[in-house]
Amino acid sequence: MTTMPQLDTRPAVEIVGVRKQFAGRSRRSPGRLALDGFDLTVKQGEFLCLLGPSGCGKSTLLNMLAGFTQPDGGQVLTDGTPVDGPGPDRGVLFQTPMLFPWLTTLGNVLYGPRARHELSADARRRALDLLETVGLSDARDAYPHELSGGMRHRAAFARVLVNKPRLLLMDEPFGALDAITRVAMQKFLLELWQRERITIVFVTHDVEEAALLGDRVCVMTGSPGRTQAVIDVDLPRPRSIETTETLEFVTLKRQIREALDNEH
Amino acid sequence: MSTDTLAAPVAERLTPAVRRRRGDISWRRVAFGLLGLLITALVWELVAALKHDPVILPSVQSTASTFWDYLSQKYPAQGKTLGQHALVSAARILAGWGAGVVIGVALGGVMASVRIVRYLLDPLIEITRPLPPLAFIPLFIVWFGIGETPKFALILIGVVPVMIIATVAALDAVPTELVQASRSLGASAFWSLLTVRLRSALPSIITGMRLAMGGAWTSIVAVELIAATSGLGYVINNAGVNLQTPLVISGILAISVLGILFDGALRLLHRATDPTAR
Repeated sequence: MTTMPQLDTRPAVEIVGVRKQFAGRSRRSPGRLALDGFDLTVKQGEFLCLLGPSGCGKSTLLNMLAGFTQPDGGQVLTDGTPVDGPGPDRGVLFQTPMLFPWLTTLGNVLYGPRARHELSADARRRALDLLETVGLSDARDAYPHELSGGMRHRAAFARVLVNKPRLLLMDEPFGALDAITRVAMQKFLLELWQRERITIVFVTHDVEEAALLGDRVCVMTGSPGRTQAVIDVDLPRPRSIETTETLEFVTLKRQIREALDNEH
Repeated sequence: MSTDTLAAPVAERLTPAVRRRRGDISWRRVAFGLLGLLITALVWELVAALKHDPVILPSVQSTASTFWDYLSQKYPAQGKTLGQHALVSAARILAGWGAGVVIGVALGGVMASVRIVRYLLDPLIEITRPLPPLAFIPLFIVWFGIGETPKFALILIGVVPVMIIATVAALDAVPTELVQASRSLGASAFWSLLTVRLRSALPSIITGMRLAMGGAWTSIVAVELIAATSGLGYVINNAGVNLQTPLVISGILAISVLGILFDGALRLLHRATDPTAR
């Protein structure tokens, strides 16, 4: 229910000719070029997976979208506006949940509204609703160290979603989880996205994860990172873990893997 | 499961109910601790009875009664009671240690944020840190006389480097992503510094405060032995010169009690700031 329909015609994310260089160890060494002339567009409500080996610049890309780092050249736009520093309109989920260990689950979820001095009864109600949604109502007064790995991730989701972000940026969020919890979290994310339809940019190095979650998979390779292939995932929604057993899925996985191997 | 709730494995949702409670007192542990103290007192009493020389080792009872007597009796005759001496020492500690903590945290905070300041101060700290503060006593007496100033300065010179090192290490250990998370949740740079970077470092800084407190007691007793007319160090030294061994031990016990009180307060503070330590 967007009140400004012209917003939805704009791409959620536009990355145009982005260049990023990291300083070398010494003044004389040339430094490492992470990205050079990189382009990418993400539609509103799209679930885009960035897939690639480590060092291909996918995390750099995400950090620029989040506003943690600035590109050395080119443009990074979200909803048609250049990214200028971090902000609550772009929710970030890290590889580890990065909850604040001195705050309870509810305190963590309310951190954003409190930091923006928008802590109202409405925000509080919203936080409690979200904790219900992610299945953490019973754990709202527990501290992060008392939660299991999956619960911490779901708390991190609630902490981000309470700010009503237009874009979710996820950097290998389930990479550190055990296989069983990871499958549960993928299922959780699919159901969440099915309901909320937030634009998601999801970084991963797991071919199966990318194929299961994404509408499109952008395969990145090399250093500096470049797009090797953009693969449309035509698998029907809603998807579930059973999707991974279909023939289409296996064919798709092979297609992605071949794109990854095509580097040389 | 309510329809509004997204699926989550059942086993996972039960975990908060079986939270561990590390704060629970283990009575077994307390009993054995008391037993250890009791055995020490018995050995002491036995040795004292065998020696039969109250100057070398007074009995437990005579030490206890001396301690009790001097809580109301002045020492020396025109001086202060044991409790008042203890207050004098405690006040010196709190003033010197308190100022040292403030200075150390402030300098450490600047060093952790501004690289130039860090380069500037690092060698200075590395040079002063291994020095025992007691080496400065003669120098400070020459500079500041025998009033309160040299005592304050001596505690300060012991506390400040410890607090700087603890603060810098604590701030360095805050994960970058934690600060990034707060910024992307809408916190301003200043709010994030206050509520995440400093807050996250607080438990480690309090541990540094505990370490610095131990050093402060060493400094204050040493300087009171040499240049003071009040304080527990003065009582211990003066009573020793006059062969009043029960009073010497009473002074030592008083320091122990104060040390435990101060450290206990800091431990409570640490627990209050760090949920994982509860």
